[in-house]
Amino acid sequence: MQTEIVSKEELLAKNPAPIKITQLSESVLDINHVSVCFDGFYALTDVNTKVKRNTIHFFIGPNGAGKTTLLDIICAKTKPTQGNVVYHPMYKDPVTLTGMKEYKIVWLGIGRKFQVPSVFVNLTVEENMILSLKKGKRIMDTILRKPKKEELDNIDATLQKVGLADKRQWRAGALAHGEKQWLEIAMQLVQKPEVIMLDEPAAGMGKPETFKTGEILKEIKKDCTVIVIEHDMDFVKQVADKVTVLHEGKILMEGSVTEVLADPTVQKVYLGRGGE
Amino acid sequence: MKALRLFERHGSNITFGIIVFILAMMPVLLMMGVVSGGSTILFLGKCISFAIVAIGIDLIWGYTGILSLGHGLYFALGGYAMAMYLKMQATGGHLTDFMHIGGLTEMPLIWVPFTLSPGSLLLVIIAPAVVAWIVGYFIFKNRVKGVYFSIISQALTWAACSLFIAMSPYTNGNVGITEIKSIFGSIKGSANQGNMFLLFYVSLIALIAVYALSKFLVERKFGKVLIAIRDGENRTYFSGYPVSRYKTFIYVLSAIFAGIAGAIFVNFNGCITPSQMTITYSIGMVIWVAIGGRGTIIGAVIGAFFINICEYNLSSGSTVEIWQYIIGVLFCVTILFFKGGIVGLVRDKVPSLFKKV
Repeated sequence: MQTEIVSKEELLAKNPAPIKITQLSESVLDINHVSVCFDGFYALTDVNTKVKRNTIHFFIGPNGAGKTTLLDIICAKTKPTQGNVVYHPMYKDPVTLTGMKEYKIVWLGIGRKFQVPSVFVNLTVEENMILSLKKGKRIMDTILRKPKKEELDNIDATLQKVGLADKRQWRAGALAHGEKQWLEIAMQLVQKPEVIMLDEPAAGMGKPETFKTGEILKEIKKDCTVIVIEHDMDFVKQVADKVTVLHEGKILMEGSVTEVLADPTVQKVYLGRGGE
Repeated sequence: MKALRLFERHGSNITFGIIVFILAMMPVLLMMGVVSGGSTILFLGKCISFAIVAIGIDLIWGYTGILSLGHGLYFALGGYAMAMYLKMQATGGHLTDFMHIGGLTEMPLIWVPFTLSPGSLLLVIIAPAVVAWIVGYFIFKNRVKGVYFSIISQALTWAACSLFIAMSPYTNGNVGITEIKSIFGSIKGSANQGNMFLLFYVSLIALIAVYALSKFLVERKFGKVLIAIRDGENRTYFSGYPVSRYKTFIYVLSAIFAGIAGAIFVNFNGCITPSQMTITYSIGMVIWVAIGGRGTIIGAVIGAFFINICEYNLSSGSTVEIWQYIIGVLFCVTILFFKGGIVGLVRDKVPSLFKKV
């Protein structure tokens, strides 16, 4: 954090006007009128929303509402038929993410956790973390560069945060399901992202584990913006700052948890079903 | 127990050391008369080249999970580059017999570098590297994976093989490039035993270098990225790695190893033919790695020696007809029941055996 403040001041001194504008941008992601069409089927229709900096923003909705597709759009796994996504990195000019290479988006500071826990099962917990460090993604770096002391400390601290510090030498494939989820979250955190996207981080977890995941997210929020897809309403109530309800590829409603839960249409299409 | 722990940690390097020691002793044993026949050294020399190409295949398949069924192409490219140089040495830079028969009156352009300088031997590395880079760049950039890649690699090898057969004024077609000496002069007969030993030790050093480089790479973070690509390509992209560049890099490196192997092979074999470029030959290389144990480097070395020594001893006399069946069954059994191959079997079973004792 220290270095960022210094660089901010330096930047402001050199070039005050334009940077002031971008740096003060309240939103970190602008999703501008995005539509996605798969062979005539609209997975998303004119989705238009903003994600605010340092918040936990939930996307909820029944199965097939287009939540995962939306994350795919943000990290350029899927190309939108219309619209685009603009990212406002801190103290830098905004970038259009649509059409970029996946790994370059990661370099810009956007991390993604998949729905199915996807850690590298044949590597140890520590090796998984080392692979996820922000620096050293080029071929020559991985051959010649060794992780620095502060990077290893960062790994230590992050593993502490998710409670996997004493399992660092374990093969990731040998971890329990919940632990894999936390490891994958930790792998995103260690990259020091500005935006972290989590696709059902609490899936397959019990109540105490889910609660712990929620506490981890609140901790993360201090340093970055969190976008979450989740079904578990208790989990949403525990941590959400803002909730966007998707239904059949469209935004049904947007607001705080209490507003969304009180809305009769939302209750009808979503909450009424099976009381998830 | 101490010895066991040491073996668990450094087992592959120790095993490699033992193999190198045995190989290095062979010429000495031959001099002392314990082993008879110079052909043993020739055969082991070829095995060294097979071990080198197997290490390359282990890097691309065992570590990165890309099954290439066309490494015979790169093996042969290295081999032809070496053979063309040696042929020019033999003819003194003049047209060869098959060129005359093919009606050529001038030295063909592809042969010209080999008449000029020994520097043309760099083509042993450059030719496979350039071809592999072009193939790899486009295939991996377009995210062609799995069985589709295997099919393409096979088809390319086949096309190249047909091309070499068809261009007989330039390559001597099916017969290949024959009547060549090794790079250190003739190795035939007991008078030239010194040359043969020199060639043998130089090849052994090449094997050690290739092994050491591969070990270095896979033990660095680079090796972990390769495993990451094998186990979760998507996750690797979203961890910020330019996956297709890594794939191209390792593909080119393994092609270079294959090229070096081909060049060594030619020296011992005394000729090169398009049969080294066939699909059967390429698949054979994959089988060595599978049986030795993929994803371990040492497994590739063990597999290459094991299968070839078996073949050398079994594919003559009464077993010649059933040898192909034996190797087929061995391959199937390995894939179905012992995914780790010989190395996996030792690694999983031996420690528990020791503990029982």
